[in-house]
Amino acid sequence: MTTLAPTSSSTAAPPLPPTPRRIGAPLRPRDFGWADAGILAASLLSSFLLVWVVFYQVTLLSGIFGFLLCWYAAFLALYWVVTTQVVDRQAATDRTATVVVVTGAFLVLGIVAFIVGWVTWKGVGHLHTNLFVKDMSHFVPADRNVLHQIGVLHAIVGTVEQVGIAAAIGVPVAVTTAVFLNEVGGRGTRIVRTVVTAMSGLPSIVAGVFVYSILVETSVSRYSGFLASLALFILILPSVTRTTEEVLRIVPGGLREASLALGASEFRTVWSVVLPTARSGMITASLLGIAIAVGETAPLIFTSFGNNNMNVNPFHGAQAALPLVLYDFVRQPQGALIDLAYATAFILLALVLILFVLARVLGRQRSTSGALRARLRSVLRPSARSGGSENPSPVGGRAGRPPLEILTVSPNPKEPLLP
Amino acid sequence: MAIATETVGPGRAPLTPATIRNDRRKGDRVFRGFARGTGYATLVLLFLIGLFLFIEGWPAIHVAGWHFFTTSGFQTIGKTKHFGVEASLYGTVVVALVALAVGTPVAIATALFLTEYAPRRLRPFMIAVVDLAAAIPSVIYGLWAIYELQPNVVGISGWMSRHLSWIPIFKVATPQVNASLFIAGLVVGIMIVPIIASVTREVFSLTPPGEKEGALALGATRSAMIRRVVLPFGRGGMISAVMLGMGRALGETIAVVIILSESFFISPHILQSGGTTVAQLIAVHFGQGGRLGTQALLFAGLVLFAVTLAINLAASAIVSRSRSGAGVDL
Amino acid sequence: MTLTATNDRNTVSDVQPTPGTGAAGLVAREVCAWFSGRLVLEGVTLAMPRSTVTALIGPSGCGKSTFLRILNRMHELVPGAQLAGSVELDGTDIYAGRLRATDTRRNIGMVFQKPNPFPAMSIYDNVLSGLKFSRISVSDRDALVEVSLTKAGLWNEVKNRMRELGGALSGGQQQRLCIARALAVEPRVLLMDEPCSALDPTSTARIEQTIADIADEVTVVIVTHNMQQAQRVSDVCAFFLAAENEPGRIIEAGPTDVIFGSPTDERTSDYVHGRFG
Repeated sequence: MTTLAPTSSSTAAPPLPPTPRRIGAPLRPRDFGWADAGILAASLLSSFLLVWVVFYQVTLLSGIFGFLLCWYAAFLALYWVVTTQVVDRQAATDRTATVVVVTGAFLVLGIVAFIVGWVTWKGVGHLHTNLFVKDMSHFVPADRNVLHQIGVLHAIVGTVEQVGIAAAIGVPVAVTTAVFLNEVGGRGTRIVRTVVTAMSGLPSIVAGVFVYSILVETSVSRYSGFLASLALFILILPSVTRTTEEVLRIVPGGLREASLALGASEFRTVWSVVLPTARSGMITASLLGIAIAVGETAPLIFTSFGNNNMNVNPFHGAQAALPLVLYDFVRQPQGALIDLAYATAFILLALVLILFVLARVLGRQRSTSGALRARLRSVLRPSARSGGSENPSPVGGRAGRPPLEILTVSPNPKEPLLP
Repeated sequence: MAIATETVGPGRAPLTPATIRNDRRKGDRVFRGFARGTGYATLVLLFLIGLFLFIEGWPAIHVAGWHFFTTSGFQTIGKTKHFGVEASLYGTVVVALVALAVGTPVAIATALFLTEYAPRRLRPFMIAVVDLAAAIPSVIYGLWAIYELQPNVVGISGWMSRHLSWIPIFKVATPQVNASLFIAGLVVGIMIVPIIASVTREVFSLTPPGEKEGALALGATRSAMIRRVVLPFGRGGMISAVMLGMGRALGETIAVVIILSESFFISPHILQSGGTTVAQLIAVHFGQGGRLGTQALLFAGLVLFAVTLAINLAASAIVSRSRSGAGVDL
Repeated sequence: MTLTATNDRNTVSDVQPTPGTGAAGLVAREVCAWFSGRLVLEGVTLAMPRSTVTALIGPSGCGKSTFLRILNRMHELVPGAQLAGSVELDGTDIYAGRLRATDTRRNIGMVFQKPNPFPAMSIYDNVLSGLKFSRISVSDRDALVEVSLTKAGLWNEVKNRMRELGGALSGGQQQRLCIARALAVEPRVLLMDEPCSALDPTSTARIEQTIADIADEVTVVIVTHNMQQAQRVSDVCAFFLAAENEPGRIIEAGPTDVIFGSPTDERTSDYVHGRFG
């Protein structure tokens, strides 16, 4: 370590203040240097060439996916062999495993980017004002010019109404259920939690046929948007309940204690302390649940059924919805309808993305203290949660399940009170 | 200042806790009752789903008997009634298995990347991407799969059918390899990656840091540490995550309907065009086949409901019994 | 300043629950406590006279905090917790069924070891939160907030940032905010569970000053591990001790100078002179 020489100008006697030490750049210990990156790149290139020759020149295969697959396999093998020449086998295995894991993750990233980019690329080109102002009452599938005569306004209205009603029922019910599970506790929490978990894996089509079976049983009016809302409600409920419970769980038990120690009732504690503290997390949970509901198609087939005309009344008559319209377009693969499908898919995806981004942004909003916000975030992104709850308070929290089970004690008459 | 200090010797009469009395305010009792009632309502809801599907679907079983499970087809009108879910169940299982074979490795790699490999600043972004993958509507997956994925994958299908045909499942009777159970399973496999990945990630992130550091301090490489510590710790969670993904794969409807061309022929050749799943049967034939047809479809829905419910319950039982599952809710 | 209950839900049907205002004495008689059937506190009898500061001292795990939580019915929040005995607030047994738990806790406030201001509320709303919970209306809220914060020694630091969130304060300020919050409902007794153990020496000094200032208006019971603190702030001291595998008991209680100067029990002497614990 070198020390900075004192500047020559100060020749006077007074002792110098401790000379500042030159602080070097922070050390970044790495096992992976330029040479290793070179091996990586060389392996990539040589395996590419090798596979290209074999794939296209010798076996005459086709399809980009097949090529990529073969290239990847050849690359892994080559990379491992070359690395063993430089470092030992264990390290080579480690590096190859790293490559596998990283490609796995980036495959997911790639697919999501591919789908979002592809839908945007294809969809934006076919966007048309008509889409947002017209319905499909003049829909003639064979018409080449169909793009200019119809729109999906009726489906947008339907989706907004159906999902809106589903969220208006689903979010309060989900929050109340989560409050039951985490704040009230007592009998039945275990089984309710298990059932909510099981319901979160309920196929969406089952929710649809269930609502349809009620319709058959009661033989009230036929299809309506409201029935779709009921089916979507069944799908929103478990996911929002589970995430909300997760968020309530990290509200520190100390806050509940503080509130109760001030003489607050249980309801007041939940309403004025617990729920406001967890608000941003609950908003995120709800919006994510709604975003998924927006794209549900299968249950709508049996409930809102679809309609080419505008129907603004969700309680009467069949109603269109964006995913349903898109599904119909996809199943009728005629030229113009495919363009329409791309445009509709883009609108639908944009709606989902807006809700998704909104959920992320509102989840970050400044309504809670820094520490709590960090913990909220860690729950919404559970990978950071390994730290676990450091709050040993008996009220709430993971450990003390039935947190508000308040019992009252009266003195035991058998005991002498005072000597 | 008079201070009463009285210590009680241990030899005194056995102490008993005082009796417990409830003095909650009326408002709090209403609040608790309301919350509890809402919680119980979900139980009722689940029960009603099973009950209604059973009541409405039962007449079909009345007609078909247990041949419903050994018949393939959907002919509910006319003199000869011939309907059942055999081929559909078979196709459902094949699609789910292919989906798991494709999705599980990718999902576990993704989960490992998120917990062990990702740089701090990349992690939140990647987690958001995985969540987004779960939020993309299945109809858009289907649209993408039929126009982008399938044209590129039939090459692999064709190659496998030519060069790997000594493996029975890769043999094909006809050279047509699009719209197959394999490709449907591939799409569904992509769709279940986020579910498996997010549950597995949660389990992996609960691995005690001490155990991980212990392994690393002994000189283990990162991959060796993962193999010796993280994966064994997360095994229960991984199994149930995979089962959860399987439940999702069994019930996937729209993407399968878009890809798969319906055929009631049970064939072991999964690369070959054609097949059907229970969800597809319900979605495609809804509204056809008269009253009996509706009843048959509702019963098929009940079958799907029962199978996925059983798998999900088993998954949550496994995760809650495993060491890593103590803090995880599926 | 007077607090008026506006909501009839707050009045208890049979007996007037809050006899008078101002500091009240607290007497615990033969208090025992169990956790999941295990006896942790046995036969504790202690008087905490009006307008005094009582310090509960003793090594960890001897039942001080449990005893403190029994004094305002927080103990029963712990699943599996049971108790016996009686606690009298100016002669009214808080476990006799005349007072609700919520009323008891409003009369007997509590400050916790870890500062816990409500993070979703502003500083101003935090101070008023107790009134809001109990639906008590007060004629001049601003004045009440100022008085409470002044008593807690925080007013000058936060008077210009009332709308900021409680979580934005430093740890010591948060704890004083919690004291202000507890004082705003005008409790008759204030329980403090190691209020300074998470704080720096400066903040600790501020809080000790606050305790000295408020002792006239409110009886203070404080759990502390810090012998000097107990000596500085308390008038009365009770020494708790739990022998191995036995429940906690009071070994000795009395005026602080006696406990620290000439304790009768050898164990007390050893503890206050730092020879164990």
